[in-house]
Amino acid sequence: MVASKYHDPHFVLRFRGAGARGAWQLTAVVLLTVALGWAKPVKIVVLNSPSELVQVKVMVRAGSASDPAGREGLAALTGRMLLDGSFGDPSAPVTKDMLADIVRPWGEQASPSVVVEKETSTFSFTVPKGVFSEYAVKVLQPLFTQPLFAGDELERISKETKVYISATLRLENTELLGLYALDNYIHEGTPYGHLPAGTISGLKAITVEDVRRFYKTYYTAGNITVGVSSGDADIQRLIQSSLSGLGRSVRAKKLRRVPPKRAPAIKGRELLVITQPTTIATGIHLGYPINVDRRHRDYWALYVANVALGTHRDSFGRLYNEIRQARGYNYGDYSYIEWFQNRPFALFPPTNTPRKNQYFSMWVRPAGHEYAHHLLKAIGWELENFVRDGLTGEEVELAKNKARVLYLNLAETSERLLAYKLDDNFYDQRGNGFLDGYLAAIDALTPAQVNAAIRRHLQVENLKIVIVTNEEWGARLATDIAAGQNAGGKDAAAYDFPSREVDDELVYDIPEDKRAVVEKDRLWEAYPLNLSAGRIRVVSSTQLFESARLIGR
Amino acid sequence: MPVRAQSVFPYPVKKVTLDNGLDVLLVSMPEFKDVLSLNVLVLAGAGNETEKGKTGFAHLFEHIMFRHEFRGQSDGYRKAMNKLGAFNNAWTWFDVTFYHPLTFSSNLDAVTLASGEVVPGLLELEASRFTALEFDEKIFQTETGAVLGEYRKNATSPGLAMTEKQLELAYPQHPYGHTTIGFFQDVVNMSQHYEYARWFYDSYYRPNNCVLVIAGDIDVATLSAKINTAFGGWEYQETPVIDVQDPPQQAERRGHVAWDADVPPRVNVAYLGPKFVTGSKGTAVGQILGELLTSRSAPLFRKLRFEDKAVSQLNLSATEGFHRRLVEINGQLYTDQYAEGGESYQERVIQDIIAGFGDLENFSSTENANRILEMVKSKYTYDFLAQLNSPANVALQLAYYYRFERDPQVIDKLVQSVQDLTPADIDHYARKYFVDNSRVIVTMAPREG
Repeated sequence: MVASKYHDPHFVLRFRGAGARGAWQLTAVVLLTVALGWAKPVKIVVLNSPSELVQVKVMVRAGSASDPAGREGLAALTGRMLLDGSFGDPSAPVTKDMLADIVRPWGEQASPSVVVEKETSTFSFTVPKGVFSEYAVKVLQPLFTQPLFAGDELERISKETKVYISATLRLENTELLGLYALDNYIHEGTPYGHLPAGTISGLKAITVEDVRRFYKTYYTAGNITVGVSSGDADIQRLIQSSLSGLGRSVRAKKLRRVPPKRAPAIKGRELLVITQPTTIATGIHLGYPINVDRRHRDYWALYVANVALGTHRDSFGRLYNEIRQARGYNYGDYSYIEWFQNRPFALFPPTNTPRKNQYFSMWVRPAGHEYAHHLLKAIGWELENFVRDGLTGEEVELAKNKARVLYLNLAETSERLLAYKLDDNFYDQRGNGFLDGYLAAIDALTPAQVNAAIRRHLQVENLKIVIVTNEEWGARLATDIAAGQNAGGKDAAAYDFPSREVDDELVYDIPEDKRAVVEKDRLWEAYPLNLSAGRIRVVSSTQLFESARLIGR
Repeated sequence: MPVRAQSVFPYPVKKVTLDNGLDVLLVSMPEFKDVLSLNVLVLAGAGNETEKGKTGFAHLFEHIMFRHEFRGQSDGYRKAMNKLGAFNNAWTWFDVTFYHPLTFSSNLDAVTLASGEVVPGLLELEASRFTALEFDEKIFQTETGAVLGEYRKNATSPGLAMTEKQLELAYPQHPYGHTTIGFFQDVVNMSQHYEYARWFYDSYYRPNNCVLVIAGDIDVATLSAKINTAFGGWEYQETPVIDVQDPPQQAERRGHVAWDADVPPRVNVAYLGPKFVTGSKGTAVGQILGELLTSRSAPLFRKLRFEDKAVSQLNLSATEGFHRRLVEINGQLYTDQYAEGGESYQERVIQDIIAGFGDLENFSSTENANRILEMVKSKYTYDFLAQLNSPANVALQLAYYYRFERDPQVIDKLVQSVQDLTPADIDHYARKYFVDNSRVIVTMAPREG
């Protein structure tokens, strides 16, 4: 069904319709440039879908980890500038308004979009098959090979991005703030250590010339992989010819071979408390780097272990069951073995955000401030016991069963199938990609393998922790946690256990089916966090994302 | 002369109505091998919450439905679903609550596990919770904590407060006047209203008030009988009629939210649109308003975002409802311009948005009006087609629109009604609905001092 190969750029096109003349001109160009040795073919990954809508994804192997120091945000701005900064003949440029009008009749998804992550910039668009040649001539070819990078657009996009960082992220979303803060915290001092969107100071410094340089370095044929959801050879050839004008860059090729610096090892536990003015609840995040990605021999065992511990947005995982289901503290509690962008909103992991450097993380969605200390202890206790005891054979079978069903969601649409093909290419998983091998890999796992993976890769001693709360509770939590004291959660009154008066005092009777809950509460309450005052920092959210440094300028 | 659109909905739909009034729609999609999407749409949402102090119960009930004591066992439904293996989720909106588990087709009927244990199939599990839900007060109270957590996680953004203010202004009496999650204090107090929750379930979770949609790799020929066995015992009962009317609005209404963080100010300009009627001109125009007003090709969007650079975001929302819902445009202003221009800058953006709505009154006189409308129609059709890309999405789209007139051909009819639009229809809609006395405006700015 799916072919993944280099395509020969020598071809004969057989297109009809409005774009046929332009398509022929493209053909002539690519034949000439290839013959003269100027062009290099782009790699094309194919999903053979019968749909009349052709999906195309163009993955550039450069993202925010390639931002130069002091120019954080350059990869993201370059991606946006390709879309909005005009393209084509400088004397008659196709502006962003004209682009919108060109693609309008073909549906919202015909308008190209871009997602910039740490190591990739991925452009996506969907085009009706019948107009593909017209699209290639009017959009695909000039957008990627003749960008104009209009300066006033850079100013606008940069300003909008600064609003996103300084307001949306810092002040309006407790969950995103915590998740991105943890991401930066874990990768502090490395090329992964700033937002893909950039930093406030980086965005201020970026010039059009920086954007041009980034484009010339990384938007090259050898640094691009295209995914297309059509087995039509003419369409694949047309893509090839459209991108034949991309240059070559020896530098990009060399850079790709050097994976970004890994996150520094964490020694002991560290806590960053972030205060946000209007939050009415406290969120908790923790994590540490792991040396497991999709090619690692323990990947699937760890994947199933994580399903058991904290399946995202699902009632299956242990964290969810203990914290939300049994005690009603919050909306959900999950764990991850891979970067999962957009967690507060997405039900399933977004594709085309691959990373070579991964980390394990846990997430407690916002709960009442007064329970935050207790819940931090709770997830520490849960992780420690998960590592020590592992999973029973029955638990592994249930988790495998759950993992099998998740496949239905991950492979739900042709858009996802195609996107995973590109991610497979990123991870060098040729022939047996993530979805290709998913079900067989899950089926083959034994409890011993899952437990061995837990012991090898999960631990609780060395963690970076982020708490997002308000100012009053930020100071209080830092003090309480540093004091190392016990911290209780809901008491009998909060659980609303039956009560009776004995000698003018209320005595609560713990229902039989709640005894286990109460007993575990006591264990959580006493769990030592081992966080001295020197390992705790309290900062305002407005101090984050300013520069490549974790805090401040 | 309008062109007859080809069928957009790519699959035949088999409709069966059980004796108890439950409508069943079956969509065979065999190319999605072993995929089963089983969906129940309940015609109850925030718009059914008419008692003061008891908002958010339709949404709470969505949560409670996952706590069903299957076969008398505490948390029995969830445990059985986990053994079976299914992605299981749901959502609630103003008129509907939608449950959409996804699993393998082979899990429709009982499954024998490797251990020899027999786990009930998805059909039995879903029938059990819809026809005979069991939950105790303790579970109910615990789940109210999860709902409170859901409210809290969204409360940092001023968007929620603005929406609450806007709905209160637009619907002083009607239950559309509060958000789906409910007012904060009502959510805090939910745990005290166990009896009301039970009443809500008994009143609205009735077969004649629900639609069952099954899509995927299914055997349509044999499924009807199985469904009848599973759901046939669910008892028919008339559901309460919501007969609350707001007094006619006499003039524009305005509200303001003062926010305790230095966020960019915002404006929200809304009008009461028509209620949803498949095939009507008003509903058809409502489908393309976003394209005409806030797409990248729309004059209003280009003016505010790109030419004047007055807003960093501009979005339109026009959702479908049994009752008249709001057509609204939200704009996010720039902090630095607000520091200089203050409320006059905010007011200028509001007036520009009002003018943008008003310009549609003369849409037919716009240069190339016919060509623009044809492009918009083309885009709308492709967008619809793109959404019908999986059993779950096909079931969702079908159920979402089917609920209005209970017509299995609804999607083709809706798309055709858009294809039939003329520029004059846009003029007519704008003149009728974008009028001063149906306008509601909410502004937000950081609290001074």
